[in-house]
Amino acid sequence: MDLVQLQRQLVDYRTSLYHEGFLDEQFTQLQSLQDENNPDFVVEVVSLFFEDSERLLNELSKALEQQVIDFKRMDAQVHQLKGSSSSIGAHRVQKLCIVFRNYCEAQNVEGCLKCLQQVKHEYGIIKTKLESMFQLEQQILNAGGSIPV
Amino acid sequence: MGVPVKRLTDRLGGIINLYGGSLSLVTMDGKLLLNGIPNTKFIYANGTIFLQFMWPNGFKNFPCSNDTPETYKLDIDGKEYNVRCSTVEISGVQSVYALALSHEGIASFVYSKISYSHIALVVTMVLLVIPLVFFVSSMITNAQREICLHDKLIKQMEATQQAERKSMNKSLALVGASHDIRAALAGITGFIDLCLANAAPGSDFETYLKQMSLCAQDLLGLLNSILDTSKIEAGMMNLEEQEFNLADLIEHVVDLYHPVGMIKGVDVVLDPCDGSIIKLSQVKGDRGKLVQILSNILSNAVKYTVEGHVCVRAWVGKPDFETKILASTRKGLGKYMSSLFSGKNDGNSDIKAVSAVRQNRDSVEIVFEVDDTGKGIPKEKQKSVFENYVQHKETAAGQVGTGLGLGIVQSLVRLMGGEIGIVDKEFGEKGTCFRFNVFLTAFEIQGDAMYGGTNSSFAIRNCSPKLGICTPSPKLDGSQVVLFMQNIERRRVSQKFLESLGISVLVVDHCHHFPSALKKIQSKLNSLLNSSRRSDMSCRSDISSSSSKEMPLSAMEGTEHKLPFNRRKDTPSFILLVIDVNAESFSELWRVVAEFRRGLHSTCCKVIWLDKPTSPCIDPKRLNPDDEILLQPFHGSRLHLVIKLLSEFGNLSQGLSSSSESSKHPYGKTRLRHTQCNDEIQGYVSSSNERYSKQGSSSPTLERTRGRLKSKRKNKDGAESSNGEKPLIGKRILIAEDNKMLSILAITTATQLGADVEHCENGNEAFELVCDGLKAQRNYDYILMDCEMLPMNGYEATRRIRIEEERYGVRIPIIALTAHTSGTEAMEAGMDAHLNKPLKTNELIEVIESIETKE
Repeated sequence: MDLVQLQRQLVDYRTSLYHEGFLDEQFTQLQSLQDENNPDFVVEVVSLFFEDSERLLNELSKALEQQVIDFKRMDAQVHQLKGSSSSIGAHRVQKLCIVFRNYCEAQNVEGCLKCLQQVKHEYGIIKTKLESMFQLEQQILNAGGSIPV
Repeated sequence: MGVPVKRLTDRLGGIINLYGGSLSLVTMDGKLLLNGIPNTKFIYANGTIFLQFMWPNGFKNFPCSNDTPETYKLDIDGKEYNVRCSTVEISGVQSVYALALSHEGIASFVYSKISYSHIALVVTMVLLVIPLVFFVSSMITNAQREICLHDKLIKQMEATQQAERKSMNKSLALVGASHDIRAALAGITGFIDLCLANAAPGSDFETYLKQMSLCAQDLLGLLNSILDTSKIEAGMMNLEEQEFNLADLIEHVVDLYHPVGMIKGVDVVLDPCDGSIIKLSQVKGDRGKLVQILSNILSNAVKYTVEGHVCVRAWVGKPDFETKILASTRKGLGKYMSSLFSGKNDGNSDIKAVSAVRQNRDSVEIVFEVDDTGKGIPKEKQKSVFENYVQHKETAAGQVGTGLGLGIVQSLVRLMGGEIGIVDKEFGEKGTCFRFNVFLTAFEIQGDAMYGGTNSSFAIRNCSPKLGICTPSPKLDGSQVVLFMQNIERRRVSQKFLESLGISVLVVDHCHHFPSALKKIQSKLNSLLNSSRRSDMSCRSDISSSSSKEMPLSAMEGTEHKLPFNRRKDTPSFILLVIDVNAESFSELWRVVAEFRRGLHSTCCKVIWLDKPTSPCIDPKRLNPDDEILLQPFHGSRLHLVIKLLSEFGNLSQGLSSSSESSKHPYGKTRLRHTQCNDEIQGYVSSSNERYSKQGSSSPTLERTRGRLKSKRKNKDGAESSNGEKPLIGKRILIAEDNKMLSILAITTATQLGADVEHCENGNEAFELVCDGLKAQRNYDYILMDCEMLPMNGYEATRRIRIEEERYGVRIPIIALTAHTSGTEAMEAGMDAHLNKPLKTNELIEVIESIETKE
């Protein structure tokens, strides 16, 4: 596909992500931290996020399957997840984490289970979206163009 | 006998006596007819007649009646005589005669000389005959030769015609083929461009493509010159009519070659001469061809010059004057004589040609001169350079060209009605000077021939801006321009032009003289304010650097009438310094100018710095806010700009009092109008973007253009610290954060701001690190503390740190990173500020600054 078209597609995609609330301005901050000293900063951070989140989500699932649910630990983990998602601007995930934490404090198992599902769902979406965005960016770079800011 | 004897004898005797001789005649019958010879008588004896001579001592007989004449020599009375006797028949009567001729008579004289005369006659005949013979023979040979030549001529003409036809066919064929060649070349160029658009930038592929594109362009250029030549030869080159501005065109071409020249160290100067080109605003003619001609000559000049300058001059010729002269020489007797001697045809055709070109009343002749200080062309080669395919080979190595240029130029110039030639330079000056003239149609001549700036007394605001410069108003007097330029030619040209407009110019040629010249001006101004006029007169004469015009300080106006002390008319209200940065190092110049400025009290001084466009070396930070930077070359439109500045400022400052505050206002106005100047400055600034965007420049000209510059830093909405982009440079920051992501974020953020970052994952570690630092006297400058950490959270850690700090008497600023919006707990714990997670750059900077200011 034409380079200019690709670039336009990327910009549109990104804008839609912001519009639909998947990303917030923290993601922009992240992008601003990327420069020639740190050329793949965003990708690295986001990959870290994926790893971290998946680990946490697994642990949360496991914790909720236990007989005795360690709410405190869960709370800490959700707190971590919240921190991570806020750091990259994964807005929806972050919002859900706040809700999740409330349920944890309330020690509401149902709520927690439901929330966990939702978090997993949202996480899946944002992961896919970010991955496609990165793919687009890579295509542009391969075609010899530069990523529009 | 039928004739009376007497009459006959008288007759004969008379004749003979005329010749100094005597005749005796006797018939055969014995009748004596005439007895002319003295002392003789005839004796008839024995059937013959004897002539008897009687001497004193005797007598002698000579036989006379023989049929054949006989000659006897006799002496009679002492003279020698030749006596001739013979028979003769006179009307049927047989007689005998005796003729005595003296030697001394005419007849004998003739007789004696007769041989000579014979010879003479023969010689004459011969002499006459020989040339005659020669003449005839040469006539014959001439005729033969003529016939021969005639034959040859006919043959030659046929051959010539044939050759011409061949060449014409060739040219036509070439012209016809040109379309195809050009189409193919255009195709190649187009496809190369397409490839370039898709090439990865910076790759080898792109480099190769760029080279190909350059080669294709070169090929196109060469092809064009060859095709132009053939087109001209085929007589198919036509002139197009187009409206354009002549002064702009010349400046455009000169500016094109200026960078090339500057790289070689050759200055390319545009000399406005008497300003006549500027007055002529619009012309009609073939713009493209004129550009081609000028470009060709200029490129040659620059090519063959290694040092010095190339000067381009242009002025309007004086057509009316010339036709008047032409007309007058052909009048009356002169015409008659000239047509007689020089041949009628020449005279008439000459006039016809002249009238053809100049029949258009608006036709104007423009004369161009391109003068360089290069190698020069020796006299004998001067004619041949215009011939096609001849190139003056003794040039610097590496000169590329087909040698077609000047031939085409000559044809084009002739096509435009002019002629081109090489002008002899003065003795001792090296280089070549090409001069040519073309005829264009003037479109809107502003006013009549105002050659040489005449002083008109009305304001010139409503005319075209260019014209406004050339008719100087008296308001320009009273300003002073100091020119400091390195190149001699440019200096001379600028000085001449400015002076022709009535502006007084002081020229500084050497960097040594510059400070002293400025000091002189300074002292003059000061002395003027304080001292009487007498001292002015005296110090007027001792200006050291070459100035041809006196300063208008106490000018002519001042001397006649007494003016009060503080009238501004005496002092120049405005001094403009035009400084060429190449001449001296910038800092040195700036220092001198700054000193000068300090010395000035009442007059305003503005500095215009001329900088090289390719390698700018002026540091705009150090400039006075009123100064401006112009790019070289200083001619053409830039020169006009400066002059306009002068006149406008001169106007304003004369009307107002010369306080600097009120003069700043019109300053701003005049600056707004200099859009062209600004474009140049913008162009200049954006090319050196990197250098200046990082530093906080205070020059207003640059600041105004800053909006155009793309600022790459988006998070600069906050306050800009004095250090610019890296406010935390040199600071040591400790980040205590357990979440991996957030810690990476914080670390990267702080690092980008220039800080040295250390990281720990919980409160314990933070506490330990701080304690180590306190002990080693090497403290962190800031601590970013996450509040939710395990096992020890941020609050606890802070409390502990504060206790520890007290022992040493230091207080390290601790910034809390919380997920909560309120920071009360943080403040209670002893933190200095709090930020929300995740960490944002601008917030961090804000907080740090607020901490700094609090301290």
